[in-house]
Amino acid sequence: MLFTLPHIIQNSARSFPEQDAFRCGRDSMSYGELDKKTDQLASHLIMKGVRKGDRIGVYMERCLETALAVYGIMKAGAVYVPLDPSAPHARTRFLLDDCGIKHVTTTAKQRRKIKAILETETNLESLIGIDADLTIPSVSWDAIFKIDLSTYQPVKIIESDLAYIMYTSGSTGAPKGIMHTHHSGLSYAKLSAQVYNITLTDRIANHAPLHFDISTFGYFSGPLAGATTVIIPDAHTKLPASLSALMEQEKITIWYSVPLALVQLLLNGVLDERDLSPLRWVLYGGENFVPKYMRELMGLWPSATFSNVYGPAEVNQCTYYHLNTPPETDEQIPIGKIWENTTYKILGEDNSPVPKGTSGELLVRSATMMKGYWNNNVLTKKALYTEHIAPGVEHVFYRTGDLVKEDEQGNLIFLGRNDRQVKLRGYRVELDEVEAVLGKHDSVEEAAVFILENENNEKQIAAAIIGTKEIEQSADHLIAFSKTYLPPYAIPNHIYFLQDFPRTSSGKVKRSEIVKSLIQR
Amino acid sequence: MKDILLKYINEQFQADDPIEAQDDLLGEGILDSLGMMKLILFIETEFELKVPPQDMTIENFMSIDDMATYISNRK
Repeated sequence: MLFTLPHIIQNSARSFPEQDAFRCGRDSMSYGELDKKTDQLASHLIMKGVRKGDRIGVYMERCLETALAVYGIMKAGAVYVPLDPSAPHARTRFLLDDCGIKHVTTTAKQRRKIKAILETETNLESLIGIDADLTIPSVSWDAIFKIDLSTYQPVKIIESDLAYIMYTSGSTGAPKGIMHTHHSGLSYAKLSAQVYNITLTDRIANHAPLHFDISTFGYFSGPLAGATTVIIPDAHTKLPASLSALMEQEKITIWYSVPLALVQLLLNGVLDERDLSPLRWVLYGGENFVPKYMRELMGLWPSATFSNVYGPAEVNQCTYYHLNTPPETDEQIPIGKIWENTTYKILGEDNSPVPKGTSGELLVRSATMMKGYWNNNVLTKKALYTEHIAPGVEHVFYRTGDLVKEDEQGNLIFLGRNDRQVKLRGYRVELDEVEAVLGKHDSVEEAAVFILENENNEKQIAAAIIGTKEIEQSADHLIAFSKTYLPPYAIPNHIYFLQDFPRTSSGKVKRSEIVKSLIQR
Repeated sequence: MKDILLKYINEQFQADDPIEAQDDLLGEGILDSLGMMKLILFIETEFELKVPPQDMTIENFMSIDDMATYISNRK
């Protein structure tokens, strides 16, 4: 029986105890080992007083211990919250406080950053996975693995219990936490394992960090099928030649990442020297894949089917579009058809359905949908659309904010956003959040943030600033300032100082006019 | 050479705590993949050499020490 995410590991451990569940670098862990070690972590957390529904942080680089943390935390009935170690400390502290996190799982590599966070963070009670002289109690992984399980009592969890919270950019200036239950996570794992026909012999490359929602494919869907997930170490994600060597060595059969990683592999991955013939699926998501690069890559990997995966983190995934042969034109690749156990609507601004072929907002209702935003009913309400079917019967849809149209074959085409969210290297960035951060600076009177494209057609964040006299301080200073609040991918690439902004008669900033005047410069 | 690299990385990529020459730049989330490409571009202009794709490996770019060794070998 399979009702919760930990059942995935328990099932696979029963059926294939010796099979590698996860690999990373020189390390690997079998399903049997993973099942036992996650019991040990759960037992430790329970002993520490962790209760059902408590949030536990996962502050780690890409490593085997991430899998232990994810499943060990859930086995304790708690909720795992991925924390990005490359995020500024202020942002990490915000997440810790927002979620009321008392315990964090980590690794020895994060010692320096953990120390810095502890300097001002007072709510944390203990750390797991690090054995260091810190201001709060800590316990090493080795000590966890010595825990005797003879008196361990598993926590009873049911599918509607909360399983994990993933944070993403929020337009008000603070990140927002997307809550998923065991039901929504497992529904995604089942659907994706079926669509991509994952089997025991598959070796899945997990390129995404844990705080990125596409990691759920490698952490949930692969183990569901008893496959082996190869966690790509951080170092390899930055150096394409080392990455392609690892793919060859690990005989990867399924790849999933943002398009940028694939483009870097194509351009700098010395692919002509690598035998990647076991590759049968290449999944990409997060943003559009430039067809000319896809064409080249598909020429190099003829045995692989490419699949455009679409779905905001709030619904995991909801459409796919498979390509068996390279795209013939440079036309944008469709996001495809809505998958099973999911319904949708395309609505105009007045909330009525648009005629087929015209642009409207995509709304999705699915088993894979989130429960809501953590600690934010207002935002949750705004994001959901409720259809009253009969007294006491309601259908709740998630408003994606994505504008789409349906083509003649019934495939959805992504057209853009109905708000100011952008995708940069697959990461969601709310331009209003960047604006809010810049506005915090004492010398900034007003900031307007928008996207400019550079000569290579790459999207870059630019900010126009109206400042006080002291703002004669350089743009570098403001960029450094934003680095203390924003993750690396959301830092403005360019800062321009202006006397005033073009405005509408009601005083609203006309950002498009600013962009025009800057391009003409 | 190491000082030039240190200064560049600390200015461009480090917000919270400055790094040192032997630090693992790749494993600790100091550089992301685009940051790495920027750094390679910087090395190419600053030290007047071309880094071919097959040299863009962990062995050559793990730390500032490794980069300095690579650059010296190429000169």
